[in-house]
Amino acid sequence: MATREVISTGNELAALAAVDAGCMFFGGYPLTPSSEIMHEISDLLPKKGGVAIQMEDEIGGICAVIGAAMVGQRALTATSGPGMSLKAEQLGLAQMAEVPLVCVNVMRGGPSTGLPTRVSQGDILQAKNPSHGDYKSITLCAGSLAECYTEVVRAFNLADRFMQPVIVLLDETIGHMHGKADIPTAEDVEAGIVPRKRFDGPAQEYFPYGVEHDEPAVLNPMYEGYRYHFTGLHHDKKGYPTEEIETCRKLIQRLEDKVAFHEDEVESFEEFMMEDAEVMIIAYGSVSLAAKEAIRHLRADGIKAGLFRPITIWPSPAKKIKEHTDKIEKVLVVELNIAQYHGEIQRAAARLDIDGLFKVNGRPISPHEIVSKVKEL
Amino acid sequence: MSKTLMRFTGVGGQGVLLAGEIFAAAKIKTGGHGLKTATYTSQVRGGPTVVDIQLDDKEIYYPYANDGEIGFMLSVAQKSYILFKDGVQLGGTIVIDPNLVYPTDEDRKKWKIFEIPIITIAKEEVGNVITQSVVALAIANTMTNALDKDVLIETMLSKVPVKVHDVNKKAYELGEKYAKEAMSK
Repeated sequence: MATREVISTGNELAALAAVDAGCMFFGGYPLTPSSEIMHEISDLLPKKGGVAIQMEDEIGGICAVIGAAMVGQRALTATSGPGMSLKAEQLGLAQMAEVPLVCVNVMRGGPSTGLPTRVSQGDILQAKNPSHGDYKSITLCAGSLAECYTEVVRAFNLADRFMQPVIVLLDETIGHMHGKADIPTAEDVEAGIVPRKRFDGPAQEYFPYGVEHDEPAVLNPMYEGYRYHFTGLHHDKKGYPTEEIETCRKLIQRLEDKVAFHEDEVESFEEFMMEDAEVMIIAYGSVSLAAKEAIRHLRADGIKAGLFRPITIWPSPAKKIKEHTDKIEKVLVVELNIAQYHGEIQRAAARLDIDGLFKVNGRPISPHEIVSKVKEL
Repeated sequence: MSKTLMRFTGVGGQGVLLAGEIFAAAKIKTGGHGLKTATYTSQVRGGPTVVDIQLDDKEIYYPYANDGEIGFMLSVAQKSYILFKDGVQLGGTIVIDPNLVYPTDEDRKKWKIFEIPIITIAKEEVGNVITQSVVALAIANTMTNALDKDVLIETMLSKVPVKVHDVNKKAYELGEKYAKEAMSK
């Protein structure tokens, strides 16, 4: 795949990625440290005939995005933790009604207003279940400037494939850092777009939610002659509310299975110096950069450390994690929260002796802290 | 030159961010790696701001400069100076604006401290206070010898409007002059 070199920030790259991936609508409300995504896309979208709108708040932002998605457009919203809390209800609606959209969350300190300008990874578990109810979240996490671009592109493709919101997690560090990134060309990104499925048969035979047990709904753009009902209530194949027992069970099971049966299409991770690793560090997002630097130092000191970095955070690459944790005794999870992903690693590894290095003061974890911790193991 | 770590500190709104971007972009232009990472507070205007600049021939992973490894710091605000000075390695270089930053005698034993009235130079000699970031850029590059001057100036000019090219060139030359004078004392 051809690449191009750009000098930019993570937030600006996320905006560029959306536009290159065919996003034609942005609805949101500026929130530190995500605001530059909105600034940048407000500049880029009108030049392509698209629309960026600042709504009255974060809730309005995602509501507008759901509307845009329902008429067939690729649509984006971006925010940070407090905005995710506000958007939670609508993310639930988009899960239930199967509306594809992309939501970028540039993580900052929380809960509540927290540390607005400081880095954190405190929204990992929120991303798994932002709203009440059962569904299977797809959450991607960028671990480099280039991935702020490639993961947003991938998010749009996954949203249309699985017909549901896809969350992309950045963090303050990665969103604001400014440097070089080698990213795919806009032409290659455009060539990789798979349009969402549509039904072209007679309108009376159109049942958007009447699909196989592991398939997403087929939602034609509204106002194109195919009428169906759109609701957050449990619904039948036409979208009308129902309490029929088996229909309700099948619907929610399908929201789970449409992703669970196809996890191989979602899974993504990086293995860094893992071939001969005797210590396995697990980190994601900006923390993985500190981990890579730490591994350079550890290797220089004769300690064979490697990094396993989940890129798709939810669903987690559990099988791959277990493959490694079955062989490697010393495992350290490093994250800017208190054990949020650590719990998932323990589950995947089926081990309770996984070590952790956690920080929640808004400051990054330095390579030296990781080196010291690894030497203590 | 393989690796340079610099730190610019000031308060929000002074334009310390731009100098970092220019350094990173110029290094990348020469085929190397450059990374700028800023830290600021929720008080965007007037809050302490720090910009870490890493220039390296190898790929840079961790985006912040490790405390204790920074060879050069420039500071134009007392509160930021106090917060961030300890990141500078012993014997490292610190440039301060003497009208705004007041190092202790102990500081002067730890580090090579140069006093250059950056803001006054920009305001009175260049004639535009906004050019302080370019004055700072010139001082930092002259003292660290990090990058080829022409590449740096060319990158800087690509980031400012054409109508202010001349004033920014003047700012660079003045910054360089003052840095050389300070070093020769």
